[in-house]
Amino acid sequence: MTTPQSQIATHLQTTKSLAVSPTWLNSFLSSSTALQRNIPLSALTQTALFRILASDFRDSLTTNNPSSLLPIDIFDPTVQERRLPGPIPVQVLDIEDIGTSLWSQVEAIERVERGEAIRGREIVRTVNVGGEEGEEGAAGAGETGGAGASNGPHRLILQDAAGTRAVGIELVRVDGVAVNKLPIGAKMVLRNAMVARGMVLLTPECVTVLGGKIEGMDLAWKEGRKARLLERISGTGEGQM
Amino acid sequence: MPGQRVLCVAEKPAIARAVAQHLSGGSFQTIPIRGNQYVKNYVFDFNFGGPWGTCSVTMTSVIGHLTGLDFERQYKTWLSCPPAALFEAPVHESVAEDKVAIAKNIQEQARRCKALFIWTDCDREGEHIGTEIRKQAKEGNARILVKRARFSNTEKAHVLHAARTLIELDDLQANAVAARIELDLRIGAAFTRLQTLQLKPLSAALQDTIISYGSCQFPTLGFVVDRYLRVQNFKPETFWGIKVMHSRDDIKVNFLWKRVHLFDRAAVTVMLERCLLAKKAKVTKVSQKPTSKWRPLPLTTVDLQMMGSRYLRMDSQTIMKVAEGLYTKGFISYPRTETDQFDKGIDLKKLVEKQIPDGNWGQYARHLLDGGFKTPRAGRHNDQAHPPIHPICWVAPTALSVDEKKVYEFVVRRFLACCSEDAKGQSTEIEIQYGDEFFHAKGLLVLERNYLDVYVYDKWESSQQLPNFQMGELFEPTEAKIFDGKTTPPNYLTEPELIGLMDANGIGTDATMAEHIAKIKERQYVAVHSRGSGRNAVKELIPTRLGIALVEGYDDVFAGMPDSPSLSKPFLRKEMELRMREICAGMRTRQQVVQESLDMYREVFVHTQRRINKLKDACRKYLVDQAAS
Repeated sequence: MTTPQSQIATHLQTTKSLAVSPTWLNSFLSSSTALQRNIPLSALTQTALFRILASDFRDSLTTNNPSSLLPIDIFDPTVQERRLPGPIPVQVLDIEDIGTSLWSQVEAIERVERGEAIRGREIVRTVNVGGEEGEEGAAGAGETGGAGASNGPHRLILQDAAGTRAVGIELVRVDGVAVNKLPIGAKMVLRNAMVARGMVLLTPECVTVLGGKIEGMDLAWKEGRKARLLERISGTGEGQM
Repeated sequence: MPGQRVLCVAEKPAIARAVAQHLSGGSFQTIPIRGNQYVKNYVFDFNFGGPWGTCSVTMTSVIGHLTGLDFERQYKTWLSCPPAALFEAPVHESVAEDKVAIAKNIQEQARRCKALFIWTDCDREGEHIGTEIRKQAKEGNARILVKRARFSNTEKAHVLHAARTLIELDDLQANAVAARIELDLRIGAAFTRLQTLQLKPLSAALQDTIISYGSCQFPTLGFVVDRYLRVQNFKPETFWGIKVMHSRDDIKVNFLWKRVHLFDRAAVTVMLERCLLAKKAKVTKVSQKPTSKWRPLPLTTVDLQMMGSRYLRMDSQTIMKVAEGLYTKGFISYPRTETDQFDKGIDLKKLVEKQIPDGNWGQYARHLLDGGFKTPRAGRHNDQAHPPIHPICWVAPTALSVDEKKVYEFVVRRFLACCSEDAKGQSTEIEIQYGDEFFHAKGLLVLERNYLDVYVYDKWESSQQLPNFQMGELFEPTEAKIFDGKTTPPNYLTEPELIGLMDANGIGTDATMAEHIAKIKERQYVAVHSRGSGRNAVKELIPTRLGIALVEGYDDVFAGMPDSPSLSKPFLRKEMELRMREICAGMRTRQQVVQESLDMYREVFVHTQRRINKLKDACRKYLVDQAAS
């Protein structure tokens, strides 16, 4: 006989590659009054998924299967390349746009602070004087809009269920990965990912974005973002070797 | 036998003379008027056709606006009232002291005339000046009939046509100007008094200055300060990229990275390593296609000012003055226009033909007529009043001053370029995939210069030619390596850029932008510095300490307010400008707009008064503390 526990667990494992921790699942079910009221299992599974995406993977997933975890020495820069078959569920701890200078990211944040991202309040700050208008194929490498999505590529800090962290580089544009679009605590699954010199090379083929976020962490990250950028700018000024 | 007497009034003496010349066929009587040495009355006969027939004409002019708006005497002195009272204080319109003789001349002439034909420039200001003239004429003769001539240059056929197809004065446009004049007076005076009285005591440097406020001036200053601070606050950062070079057929081809550069060294290192691991690069795209560089659009005022200050090394105000002189003399069309499309009715070939005698571009003009002519591209703007700026006739260079020659030449070359074929070329693009990364190399071969031959201001030149690469071909690049560099700050603002920014943000009209820029220089809110030397020198606008203090001060005053409507930002003015257009379109009345705009600014004024200390703090910071250090 299959219990609701095992049915939910199996479903999440097969459809989302998420190995839910039995402890977490039990407490989810016991806290959920829904069970007594005979809510359909599918609805219950959806709720469980939703909660998992909003949870910390370190609490909600099991660490029993080593193939769904990052190798402990993943950061090792002496390893030229290795492949991780996975699937490995991870959560995003940090995201940054390495295609854009820190300073222009600060300027973009300040434009939003000054209310210039609101429609009708935008200020045009650069114009092309007698420029290349009319030349076919002239690349319009203009500023990106104030609050718009970041350019990328992005550098992510990812964390698995056991708490191991890894750096991910968006080698090929992955939909849904952008500053202000991918919240902190968002979940993704890595399949057959390549790791080079300790960096996970992210491509649409190996990344499935599940969504979700960890509210408190995301909020703190957003609030501290400008200060962190500024700190890093002053850091690179003197700290260069 | 001339029938009725008609009075014609132009906006400037030179236009009056030019029009008189054309209408009279060259024979007219010139009568000086009492009290003004510039304005003359020209007397002749002319057949206006239609109901008018041959009339006995007196052609005269004003010199710009006849009347001015001011507060009543008890509000005129600085300490006569709290500055806020100026939002409501009664104002009255009166003939400016130096224009009394001109107004009197119109009244006297009107008394003897059956009709008044207004020949002011066909724009908003001209429409308003037209109503001022009408008012004076009606004082002399309440029953006088009023018509208006619509013209956009002083070429003979055009003027004759305008004289025979008279229209009505557009009171809506005049009302928009009247609204603007009242708003500028009240808002300008209120803020100027407030800030001057409050800031003067702070520094000896401010003792003898008036710290003026203008609703266009301040956003204009705001752009200069904003850029200055961006340059000052800028922090350079290191970036890294990958450079791939391949030698083939003795040509070194440099391939550029599709990502240009990144700000993470480790990531770039890994990417390069993966290129090298892959050993061979694969050609993923070889395209050879015709390309063209488009001829310019027909010339507008904003473009004339921007291009002029860039290529002719003159400031925008000077360019506009010179262009107006050329217009008045009948050499070019009216230089204040937003239109960048030629009307179908205009005979462009005939205008091209007039340039044939020229020693420099005459031959080019002939080539256009011999089959090279192309109908100009049409832009998206049409102010429904004036055509794009174009030459009206050919002028011998000896008849022009140095500055006039430069501006005239630019207008002519631009016009001929508009009527030419685009420049044609062939572009080659090769894209390769190397590891996970993409790189590309581009080549350009210019085949036909076409318009570039006459439009010497544009550059488009062939690049190094690329050797042959086959689609799908694999090769091992000769070299691939990491390069690094540092980000650089933007440059300080230049005048052409500032005009572009004002235009893009809706500050001022094309006609007034140059004046606003001149104003913030005159007020010593900004200074002009030269960067570089000789022909490459660039004139940059740098705010003075006072300029920065005012912008920062006002930004602080409004910091944290919803919408932060700081006076250094373009929004308030932009809204006002939109309302002016609504008056012109008949969607709102002058009274409505004046009331609404005053309410908006009054709120801002009250807030400024309440937090005036922020403004004072900023002035202390820049004018006292920094001046001392």
